[in-house]
Amino acid sequence: MTPPAVDLRLLVPELVVTATAVAVMLAGLFLPAGRQHLLRWLAAVGTLAALGTTLTAGADPTPAFAGMYVRDALTRVIQATALLAVLLAQWLSGEYVERTGLEAGEYYALMLVAALGAMLMAASSDLIMLFLGLETLSIPLYVLAAFARTDLRSQEAGLKYFLLGAFGTAFFLYGIALLFGATGSTGYRALAEHARTPAVIFQAGLALLTIGLAFKAAVVPFHFWAPDVYEGAPLPATAYMSVIAKVGAFAAFLRVYVVALAAQAGEWSTLLAAISVLTMIVGNVAALRQTSIKRLLAYSSIAHAGFILTGVVAGTPSGASAVAFYLLAYTFMTLGAFAVVLMLHRRGEEADQIADLTGVAWRAPALGGAMALFMVSLAGLPPTAGFLAKFYVFTAALDAGQIGVVVTGVLTSVVSAYYYLRVAYTMFTGQPHEDVGFAGGRWVTAALVTASAGVVVLGIFPGRVISFVQQVGQAMR
Amino acid sequence: MLSLIIFLPLVGGIIILFTSKTNETLLKGIALGASLASFVLSLFMTALFKIGGGFQFLELGNWIPSLGIHYHLGVDGLSLPLIVLTALLSLLSVAYSWRIELRLKEYLFLFLLLETGMLGVFAALDFFLFYIFWEITLVPMYFLIGIWGGPRKEYAAIKFFLYTLVGSLAMLLAILVMYFNAQPHTFNMLTLIEQQPLAAKPVLAALAFWGFFLSFAIKVPMWPFHTWLPDAHVEAPTAGSVILAGVLLKMGTYGFVRVSLPMLPEAFRIYAPAVAVLALLGIVYGALVAMAQTDLKKLVAYSSVNHMGYVMLGVASAAAAAGIPEKAVAAATALNGAVFEMVAHGVITGALFLIVGVLYDFRAHTRGVDEFGGLGARLPMYTGITMVAMLASLGLPGLMGFVAEFFIFVGSFGIFPYLTVVAVTGVIFTAAMFLWTIQRIFLGPFNERWAGLPDMDTREKISLVPLAVLMVIFGLYPRPLLDVINAAMTTLVAMVR
Amino acid sequence: MVVEVIIFVFAALGALAGGLGVVASRLPVRNALSLLLVLGSLAVTYLLLAAQFIAVLQVIVYAGAIVVLFLFVVMLLHRQLGAMSPDRLRWQGPVAIGLSAAFLILMLLTLRFATNAAAPAPAEFGTVESVGRALFTSFALPFEVASVILLVGIIAAVVIGRPASRPVAAPPRSSAPSPVGAPRR
Repeated sequence: MTPPAVDLRLLVPELVVTATAVAVMLAGLFLPAGRQHLLRWLAAVGTLAALGTTLTAGADPTPAFAGMYVRDALTRVIQATALLAVLLAQWLSGEYVERTGLEAGEYYALMLVAALGAMLMAASSDLIMLFLGLETLSIPLYVLAAFARTDLRSQEAGLKYFLLGAFGTAFFLYGIALLFGATGSTGYRALAEHARTPAVIFQAGLALLTIGLAFKAAVVPFHFWAPDVYEGAPLPATAYMSVIAKVGAFAAFLRVYVVALAAQAGEWSTLLAAISVLTMIVGNVAALRQTSIKRLLAYSSIAHAGFILTGVVAGTPSGASAVAFYLLAYTFMTLGAFAVVLMLHRRGEEADQIADLTGVAWRAPALGGAMALFMVSLAGLPPTAGFLAKFYVFTAALDAGQIGVVVTGVLTSVVSAYYYLRVAYTMFTGQPHEDVGFAGGRWVTAALVTASAGVVVLGIFPGRVISFVQQVGQAMR
Repeated sequence: MLSLIIFLPLVGGIIILFTSKTNETLLKGIALGASLASFVLSLFMTALFKIGGGFQFLELGNWIPSLGIHYHLGVDGLSLPLIVLTALLSLLSVAYSWRIELRLKEYLFLFLLLETGMLGVFAALDFFLFYIFWEITLVPMYFLIGIWGGPRKEYAAIKFFLYTLVGSLAMLLAILVMYFNAQPHTFNMLTLIEQQPLAAKPVLAALAFWGFFLSFAIKVPMWPFHTWLPDAHVEAPTAGSVILAGVLLKMGTYGFVRVSLPMLPEAFRIYAPAVAVLALLGIVYGALVAMAQTDLKKLVAYSSVNHMGYVMLGVASAAAAAGIPEKAVAAATALNGAVFEMVAHGVITGALFLIVGVLYDFRAHTRGVDEFGGLGARLPMYTGITMVAMLASLGLPGLMGFVAEFFIFVGSFGIFPYLTVVAVTGVIFTAAMFLWTIQRIFLGPFNERWAGLPDMDTREKISLVPLAVLMVIFGLYPRPLLDVINAAMTTLVAMVR
Repeated sequence: MVVEVIIFVFAALGALAGGLGVVASRLPVRNALSLLLVLGSLAVTYLLLAAQFIAVLQVIVYAGAIVVLFLFVVMLLHRQLGAMSPDRLRWQGPVAIGLSAAFLILMLLTLRFATNAAAPAPAEFGTVESVGRALFTSFALPFEVASVILLVGIIAAVVIGRPASRPVAAPPRSSAPSPVGAPRR
């Protein structure tokens, strides 16, 4: 038994992220209280370096590390998205962390490790790696949810997220165990081979695996934790977890279904289609009645999980590209919307009620304009990233013959326009509350500007980005 | 040049965003300059336009090559008049909005964004681009109604938005049906017209047809999808109403002529009688309901339902005659009338909403028809222009509306004789309604409440006189406009056959 | 074979009973001791599956270290901990039992129909040597990733357990939905 080749060059982006996380944590310990803001620079530089190495790394479809790890086009695109998400989320958190006296070193380190988890999930070529990536993603998020630990609601959020996350993980592991029983291996390749003549136990394992992933992606009917957790967690942590968990979970969906089980699309697509339809309906309808912007965005993230899932349902290479594009667009628009909310405060507290936004646009037109842009994009109207993303997934799903899913998606988009526009409209009407003030800063502004630019560029000049995400599809052919 | 016409307003809007909001004169100047430049260029384009030359001023570029989406623009005899109309009405509306005080900067930006969207819809030849421009018009209009509108603005704005959004998403699905059935997959509208990808697939063709129908019919709006229109019109600010009635409604009928007719002629032919009946219901219903209104703005709004019914009757007749050579002349006539009516209605109704605005916004602050009386003696200029516009709207010979309606009726009589006869009665109701309105406002005993009412000022004259002049010119000598339209429509009818 | 089945039945019943004890008892000491029973029974099951190394690890790490740690915490804090407050959930309990039973039946049916596809385990399966070999060859990368997870676990413990360093009364966060400007719909 010869040890397999270890080529650390493949792992450079992951190593850079890990090193940055450790460095930020240690620096946080040693830097005096007045200089903690240097951590932001450190984290940003490290993340940008990782982003650079990801984009320049080659793409090789053969698994490495004894079939555990693969750095192909899908890996590259998803990893870039995850790194972008963590970069923007760091900027978003900049002033908030300082203002509220959270421990910056640990905070940024946990964020980076969560991104590492999502990156590993994208690069997994084996169920064990997928599981470890999932845990690397989830555990920091549990802690981030409970990070404002003197606040009861944050504690509740952390505990709830942890318990339900552990529950989901148990299903996931049970699924892996059954699949291992059916195939005698945990590699995706074995999965693909056995999928041709699936035994009952194989299907059961796959179903349990799906349940575990559905928990992480907050897909109906496994979404009940999301609104409570999102509401209780500190605002920038909410922003981050709503994005990075999606990136990781959908990377896993793509790896397991679209890559490994591509040949059996007919068997699982019905199940996923049903979940997707349910998710779009429940998420969008429940969002209608929310008064808290955090809860609204929580339901919106559930709804978007449904939309993204339509790309997986398509099961085609173009569906995979569409999912990758959607994740990128979703990152920009969701983080942007949270950035707007982070720019405000109500008597020093989070301005997390929709009513707090009343009339704000007239005091800060740029902020109002940005929020309108993000809401229009989330609702999926042109010429924004959100429209093109929806267009792309729906086109892929139609091409795969999933007409019912697409029609549901289109109808629920109309529903979603109602509550998104209500938020934008609130900003432009009425008198602003005297309690609500601005809490902006350079970092959160940078995040806001980047996110706006991303939404506009992805909507109007998406040519290069689309050819970038299409590598995903081409790699699968 | 076409791109310049379309995007000049947007460029102006972006400059406005970066201009200080305290300098209102400069803001207005930029807005006026941008829309004026766009209008002048559109006139210049008209001068260069060759009648009967098919699509001209084509622009084709790669936009999202990996999805087969192109930046494809062009104008023909159908879109040219509408582009000029859009540029003109936008210019006049900006001029009219001189007195907007609330959030002027945002108002002008949204207005110019809206103009870009509308111009783009009429010039786009790539379905994806068409859809993008179509939707771009939605959001600015939502905010124009929602922020600068009347008392029930929030309700009206969201109703307008959701109605049209349902429609446009149905259109998106229909577009995708076309896209996937074309070989090779394409969004190019000209190629799709040539290929007729759904000719041999009646079920899919019917689906696509009804998808487009829903979208366009809501926009037109045809009975029974019209319920958003009175709310939106009444609550919108004056300039918004002008654009809504003058241009946005035309997007629906334009869609029928540009998309449904040439791309799905078979399906449209089969369902044309149903469409014609709906158009007829719109004509009669619009006229009758308008008669019962006491709110001047609502009255004009319902008269739009009525007039757009005429347009749809013309289009449906042409569709029903598709593939029947001996009816080609009638079809072309009906289509000519329909397109002429689109332009005429844009000019006339635009003027009517401005007229209502003149009275309501800065003078009387009421729109109750019965609250006025005898204004004719006090406001000669205002009365004169109002009379011209209302008479044009009811179809008095010698004015623009008559030419359009005449062609529609002549054309559709050869195809749907019975329906046309009923439709003509709509003209009688319209005439009665407008004459009665004129009588109530301008004639009769003078209501002393309005003793201090001044006549129109220069700015209002600048907005209204050009429209009144156009009504008379094209009423007496419609030839230049008709030639442009006719060439395009004859080609279209020939193509459909 | 018969002996193995008997041992398995005892171990399984022990694990179940322990699990019930963890959930049902309101005294922290009993919870911890029940957990010990679960872990011990599982170690027996692992032995039956010829996974010696895992069984030993289970006893040393979980039963030996972790449960003892729990007991220490309980002992040191028992005044503050006391007995837990009674459950305030009403209908969730029965529903959970029902759903778990349904899931159990479903899984039993699934396994019943499962054809025995897996090959028999090789002779050296589960020994220290084979596990070590696997960990440092084909599972080298997962092994390293697991170390990152453990690191996060430590950070998490520190972050959550550390007393508030600054006299920040409560981080500025919104407490209750504001009545100001009540929602529109």
